[in-house]
Amino acid sequence: MEGDVGNFSVKIKQKPRYIDMDKCIACGVCAEKCPKKVDDEFNMGISKRKAAYIKYGQSVPLKYAIDPDQCIYLTRGKCRACEKFCPTGAINFDDKERTHTIHVGVVILAPGFKPFDPSIYDVYGYARLKDVVTSLDYERLLSASGPNMGHLIRPSDNREPKKIAWIQCIGSRSHNRCDNTFCSSVCCMYAIKQALVTAEHLSGNDISQTIFFMDLRSHGKDFERYYNTAMEKGIRFIRARPHTIDPGKDGNGVSMRYITELGETVDEAFDMAVLSIGLEASQDSIFLAKTFNIDLDAHHFAATTSFTPVESNRAGVLVTGAFQAPKAIPRSVAQASAAAASAATLLSDARGTLTKTKTYPQATDISEQAPAIGVFVCACGINISNVVDVNAVANYAKTLPHVVYVENNLFTCSADTQELIAEKIKKNNLNRVVIAACTPRTHEPLFQETLKEASLNGFMVEMANIRNQNAWVHQSDPEKATQKAMDQVRMAVAKITFSSPLSQGKLKVNQRVLIIGGGVSGMTSALSMADQGFDTLILEKTDTLGGNARALECAFKGEPVQPMVEQLIDQIESHENITVYKQSTLESVSGSVGNFNGSISVNNASMDIDFGGAILTTGAGEAIPQSYGYGEHSHIMTHLEFDREVMKNQKTEPNDNVVFIQCVGSREPERPYCSRICCVHSVKTAIALKTRTPDIQVFILYRDMRTYGVWEQYYQQARELGVIFIRYDLDSKPKVTLKQKEIQVNITDPIIGIPLEIQADYLVLASGVVAHDSDKLTSLFKCSVDSDGFLNEAHPKLRPVDMSVNGLFLAGMCNYPKPLDESIEQAKAAASRAGVLLSREYMELDAIKSFVTDKCDGCALCLDVCPYDAIFLKEITTETGEVTKRVVTDSALCKGCGICFATCPKEGIMVHGFTMDELKAQVSAAMA
Amino acid sequence: MFVFKVGKLAQMLNVHRNTITNWIKTEKLKATPAAAKQYTIPTREFMSFCREENIPDNVCQSILKHAPGTGHVPVIEEAKGKLKIPKNRFKPEKKLGSVMVVGGGIAGIQATLDLADAGYYVYMIEKTAGIGGAMAQLDKTFPTNDCSM
Repeated sequence: MEGDVGNFSVKIKQKPRYIDMDKCIACGVCAEKCPKKVDDEFNMGISKRKAAYIKYGQSVPLKYAIDPDQCIYLTRGKCRACEKFCPTGAINFDDKERTHTIHVGVVILAPGFKPFDPSIYDVYGYARLKDVVTSLDYERLLSASGPNMGHLIRPSDNREPKKIAWIQCIGSRSHNRCDNTFCSSVCCMYAIKQALVTAEHLSGNDISQTIFFMDLRSHGKDFERYYNTAMEKGIRFIRARPHTIDPGKDGNGVSMRYITELGETVDEAFDMAVLSIGLEASQDSIFLAKTFNIDLDAHHFAATTSFTPVESNRAGVLVTGAFQAPKAIPRSVAQASAAAASAATLLSDARGTLTKTKTYPQATDISEQAPAIGVFVCACGINISNVVDVNAVANYAKTLPHVVYVENNLFTCSADTQELIAEKIKKNNLNRVVIAACTPRTHEPLFQETLKEASLNGFMVEMANIRNQNAWVHQSDPEKATQKAMDQVRMAVAKITFSSPLSQGKLKVNQRVLIIGGGVSGMTSALSMADQGFDTLILEKTDTLGGNARALECAFKGEPVQPMVEQLIDQIESHENITVYKQSTLESVSGSVGNFNGSISVNNASMDIDFGGAILTTGAGEAIPQSYGYGEHSHIMTHLEFDREVMKNQKTEPNDNVVFIQCVGSREPERPYCSRICCVHSVKTAIALKTRTPDIQVFILYRDMRTYGVWEQYYQQARELGVIFIRYDLDSKPKVTLKQKEIQVNITDPIIGIPLEIQADYLVLASGVVAHDSDKLTSLFKCSVDSDGFLNEAHPKLRPVDMSVNGLFLAGMCNYPKPLDESIEQAKAAASRAGVLLSREYMELDAIKSFVTDKCDGCALCLDVCPYDAIFLKEITTETGEVTKRVVTDSALCKGCGICFATCPKEGIMVHGFTMDELKAQVSAAMA
Repeated sequence: MFVFKVGKLAQMLNVHRNTITNWIKTEKLKATPAAAKQYTIPTREFMSFCREENIPDNVCQSILKHAPGTGHVPVIEEAKGKLKIPKNRFKPEKKLGSVMVVGGGIAGIQATLDLADAGYYVYMIEKTAGIGGAMAQLDKTFPTNDCSM
């Protein structure tokens, strides 16, 4: 790579694929005819693939490739069977490696991680014992598209295992054999998931799942509940680390030896053992770091700071995902959006200079044509076809009225099938299409696109969900399921017969963003939006910007927080695109995505504002402890109080005893979630105390140490410095008694089994994070909070910073407790998502909206029921000069829910795509 | 005081005449216009300019000796190739509206989609034959048990 930010030139090597992507139709003949079988790395080597292969069924691009290391012709010069049989002549053995030079403004590195290879541990016998698998192997064993089609069988004898054990922290939190001293931060949760999902795969009452763990780290949103559910469902959690795995009886299964907390050695037999392997940096990381001249940390993850979590040390080179540190999917997704935001701010002047808008051919007018329906029945690999007889469904579809063309597909959603559908539409003059496959929620946009490409109106497609609503729920009764699939197809055909083309409206987008909350998250979002060129408003409830960060000494990586906050405030206050309203709250909101109107109160004066989207960064606060003598002694304090009063002024004496109690009020019925940040905070504070005065005694009383990810290094450092960690359970909580002026803490050490009495000079309570009351905001925006009071994201994995209300985004602690660097990531991610919305001057509206018919007589029954306030009553003059009332709908506000339609007694208001004719036809077809 | 003509100095330094004009415009070369398209610059200023631009002393001296403002000027061979001045040095650098994303896993895909939707041209580089990364290999995702695919 050469050049500087804004103008890099990068040389790329493209490996030969030996198959022409334009000609390949993914028919699979090459793989069928290929004589060379090799281990399928996608299925972790459990099954075989051919040398001509696709990675997986739903692969993108869905084009075959030839593996040059395995192909008989390419390695030994003879064969070419695939070439002979390929129906489109796509095989090209002359394909050569090519180099391209591309010119880009910014580079984003997201090469991911390498799953840890446990074969270096001989005691676990991964390479030796068939029934010892890694968690990723197990993931493939469970998967419906995996080597066993989702039938869970153990490798040694292909029988269903009944008793399965998971061993945590394989290749994580370990010096031994590997230098992976970090926590991989995802294994605890995926092990619980696998244990829970296992129960769905196996039958019988004698199944049991056991998880051997060191600390159970369920530190994300809703994770603790998931853990509790697992315990309720009878999954056994044992705090131990099995040290030896031997072959089981007859060579099948395993025999495991471990020591319980009481010190007893136990030999237990299991049908199968799963090693919960960690995430480590791959060799690619080192190569990329060299090529792009960026720094890596001690574990070969990309080095970043707490305040610039996606920026490498080289300007214009951004890093994201598991390349930066081991992390789960939601944080990877948020970080990726954050990197996109950083790229967008760096290149804001050049936005849109190199892109083109997609255009579709003019849709043909079908109003005069008789319905000609094409039906495409999907097998979804085996997802549908192993329950529903898809051929029978297709044959049945041929008998339905107006159906002129029917076809079966293995994956109707694949890229090549889209071309096929377009081709069939043209060839058979189809004007309506029924897809019998999965849910329109995920796949309807794809098929609409295909129709548009084929010069049809995008809304002339109807989906029959024969997977989620049929194959998945009627697995035990294939015959009736097939019958039901036929009913579903008949209903879809009946409905689409009465459908007519719809058009999508356009809406001008107000390119101003409102940010609610002036903490670090809010300010980071604001700065990113403003740097992208958008007009930005910040509402802050108090009279100062900075939020919780004002109370923090240093970030988790050790950087002092206050200078960063000061600098951020300076940038905000001097930025020409940002207006800050302090002592302000949002009072009312109307409108919808792209065009919101609101009124705010600034210093008790009311003011009107308008904006296109909003980012909610309202933060959260520290909980007030209700136990352990809080409030009864001046030296019993919370984290923030201790930071502010003791740490800052260095008040501790060299021979003091400082006791930390973790999970105060957290992970208990009244606050059943983990606050994520307290463990690291306590450990960091303990290290600071110990380094300042080594003679100081620090005790940390904990339930599970949750120093996830790279923070594990602090836990290790603290132990090396002599910080004493004592674990307690909910039924053996520490007791705090006040004797005159002394604080006494009593706890039983579970390892030595002896009750301890600690005279504490300071008692610090890790009291957790509580959500602010957001009733007003949620009622204004009609958005939702979870049962703990934190704002809900649209999807916990894939849309972590979007909210379910279009045009709203969230970031920071209002979503869930998180440290500063993660808040900054989320804040940037929200700015990226909002930037996507606001960067377009016009927004296409959905076509499924309510519309008013001539039958409306203005009775206004629908006004009260509309949950979106999208209907108004208006006076009109009819052709005969009569003045009457009738309703009108606002298509930007209408969500097409149809409540008005259901309420109207005279078909005066209906919803496009669900008119009375269409629904009548569908219902009659169901009854037929 | 050193007197020179733009074209002549350009010839001696083996750069384009516009480069010299730009230097003067941006005050990199602190010369003042004089009569007959000539420029004057204090000798010391010119020498410090040469030092900053890594022009060897002997070249600088011979330029001063030949005083390119007047009469015939020989091309100074030593100056050739010594002055590595990027072509667009004084143009404001134009930023490109394109981004390269290395890796087609869930992080790479999300970054790509966001940027493409916001109006940037994205090149995605993936090592294997298809995108999807590790997430495509997973069966279900916690804590909602959604299908990973």
